[in-house]
Amino acid sequence: MQNMIVRTFMCVKVLKTGNLFKVKKKGEKEESSFYDMEAYFHCYFFENKLLKHLEFQIPAAMLEMEAQDLSDDADYAAASQEGMLSSKKSSFSDLENAEIVYLKEKVTINPTQYAADRISGKLKLIKQDSSLFMTWMPYKSRISNARLSERDKSLYTIKPVSFTDIQSIRVHTPKIGWQYAVVILSSGLAYPPLYFYNGGVQEFLATIKQHVYIVRSSENTNLFHINNFEDPLQFDKISLVWGKPRQSPLQLEEWGMFLDAEGRVVSPSDLKKRIFYGGVDHSLRKEIWKFLLGFYAYDSTYTQRRYLSTIKKSEYETLKNEWQSISISTEQSIKETQFKETKFLIDKDVVRTDRMLPFYEGDENENVNILRDILMTYSFYNFEIGYCQGMNDFLSPILYVMEDESEAFWCFVYLMERFGPNFKHDQSGMKFQFFALSKLMEILDKPLHDYFEENNCLNYLFCFRWILVQFKREFEYEEIMRLWEILWTHYPSEHLHLYICIAILKTHRIKIMGELMDFDTLFKYINELSCHIDLDSVLSYSEALCMSAGKNGAAAIPPGTPPVVA
Amino acid sequence: MAAYRADDDYDYLFKLVLIGDSGVGKSNLLSRFAKNEFNLESKSTIGVEFATRSIRVDDKIVKAQIWDTAGQERYRAITSAYYRGAVGALLVYDTSRHVTFENVERWLKELRAHTDSNIVIMLVGNKADLRHLRAVPTEEAKAFAEKENTYFMETSALEALNVETAFTEVLTQIHHVVSRKALDAGDDPLGLPKGQTINVGSKDDVSAVKKVGCCSA
Repeated sequence: MQNMIVRTFMCVKVLKTGNLFKVKKKGEKEESSFYDMEAYFHCYFFENKLLKHLEFQIPAAMLEMEAQDLSDDADYAAASQEGMLSSKKSSFSDLENAEIVYLKEKVTINPTQYAADRISGKLKLIKQDSSLFMTWMPYKSRISNARLSERDKSLYTIKPVSFTDIQSIRVHTPKIGWQYAVVILSSGLAYPPLYFYNGGVQEFLATIKQHVYIVRSSENTNLFHINNFEDPLQFDKISLVWGKPRQSPLQLEEWGMFLDAEGRVVSPSDLKKRIFYGGVDHSLRKEIWKFLLGFYAYDSTYTQRRYLSTIKKSEYETLKNEWQSISISTEQSIKETQFKETKFLIDKDVVRTDRMLPFYEGDENENVNILRDILMTYSFYNFEIGYCQGMNDFLSPILYVMEDESEAFWCFVYLMERFGPNFKHDQSGMKFQFFALSKLMEILDKPLHDYFEENNCLNYLFCFRWILVQFKREFEYEEIMRLWEILWTHYPSEHLHLYICIAILKTHRIKIMGELMDFDTLFKYINELSCHIDLDSVLSYSEALCMSAGKNGAAAIPPGTPPVVA
Repeated sequence: MAAYRADDDYDYLFKLVLIGDSGVGKSNLLSRFAKNEFNLESKSTIGVEFATRSIRVDDKIVKAQIWDTAGQERYRAITSAYYRGAVGALLVYDTSRHVTFENVERWLKELRAHTDSNIVIMLVGNKADLRHLRAVPTEEAKAFAEKENTYFMETSALEALNVETAFTEVLTQIHHVVSRKALDAGDDPLGLPKGQTINVGSKDDVSAVKKVGCCSA
């Protein structure tokens, strides 16, 4: 497979071969391989003392979207110096119409800690038609023994970048010491700090202000938003920034390509990623859900799977006979009371589980009886958790897809391994998730988090139903099957459902905060969103939020938070 | 007085909670009252569901915001969080299942622990239509209600028996409590400005809101 240069940035070159990212640092012969670009950038840049004041958040999806086939970085450098590489979003091709509105000489980049390595250059703001662009070009070196070659220097060149692609500018104007500005792109990438050794940061900002909408951050006085996503009025724009386009569901032919001759899934991670972006066709669900839920191992063969189904079927029959024989015998069991109570609850709940669906509708519906038998068997199989309302909601789509009692039972067992803690007597699973939700909100939308805090809504009880049954009551049946298979991929996070909660709440933040909703009003409002949530946009948004929270997000979720992954 | 009243044109907004064991018919009592509907196959409640309906009490329009809660024991700890600010409660049991009546005492204890002492409570024996299956005698429930100082009524959501009466009675009693409060406030030399929030009791929760209507004097 061909190496593809994804990005040449600072002193690293990022190459992509298939799904593998390779990173080559300047001066190192060895390439390091990473599957997870984001993880790489975090560890590299955070370790690098020179760049410690920069914050990098690079969604892998973004990198791929912007992938350009650049075969040689020398050519790339030359091209970028001449402004030939135009950004996808903005075209800056014709300099003749352009007007230089700001020019600052001796604006410097410090690639290393050595003063001798400083690269000075010319910072320009260029107005073309109604757009504003920024460029920085290094001077040609006059010192021959410089540690950095001309080619190295040119790598730092800032080709004309449109302000529509710039998210914010962070400035540092200390009383003592040098002023500098960090330009952060919408993608989360940042250019190296531009040092203004002769001052002029304020003038730079003032010029920008004349041409684009710029506001000072309410939280950080050194931060200026260009595309101000913090501003509720402009908020919806953020959903346009990230999130890879969703695809159509995985079809039979494409599914076949994920399997080897004996039926093993060649690359489970590729498969999961594919499913994340489009789900699977309904006809494939019966097979693929068994992988996603862990009933089938990805490296199992057709033969092994057939064998597994057979033995699991008889195992299920044995389990089922256990409790059925209790009901026949004359009530001597110690567990008699609990058995009767459980049976009553289950009997009551199965007749009110998705009965509008043809599959479950009508009197004497056999599928309703199967729901009951599976739930009864499960309450014996996992006596500690037993039966709890909401489990019926989890089981219903599984039985609908499997159309097989034993397979539905085992898939349900695996699903309950992940979400069983939701039904624990002490509600610990739910509490973990509420806690994580609060932490994630603090990271991803501090103002909304603070609003909830002020209004005694931090317990996130209004998300109870969302979390307990994984949005089962919020979407149509077809949509819930789609959402679940996407969540079960655990891509890009096994806790994506929490980011979905955040995404929905953030989508309604203007209304929530604008109308000063209290706990009761908010609760009612959230409840009434049921069946009015756009699945695809919420998925894209939550993906973006997950990427943007990055490692901080993952760290905010305590270990043991459902779904529990073995 | 105009003949037409908009949906959000009301004098009082009262929060009621529906509590009681799973499967006693809380959601159907609510849908009977709010939409005049009954559905044996309606989904079990997870967390809480809402419905509102405005009725006339004395000469006022009272809007009831009813919180229909999940009954299963495992969710009780969470259910109590919904009680905050409630001024009325319908504590429902199933007349055909004695165990649901036995649990009423616990529900009551929890309710009282989380709400103001002025809360209006009605014990409701639902499914009165299942005459051949009756397990809780009316007298037993009545005696309990008297002892506990709550209102009492037997209903059938299926037959639409006493449902309207039960809700109306609770709302009327709340209105009386509120009017008394307002009157007490009126005796206060400082008075209570018209249109201000009236608290039935609890410290800082908005329990009953008197709206300043366009036609109020």
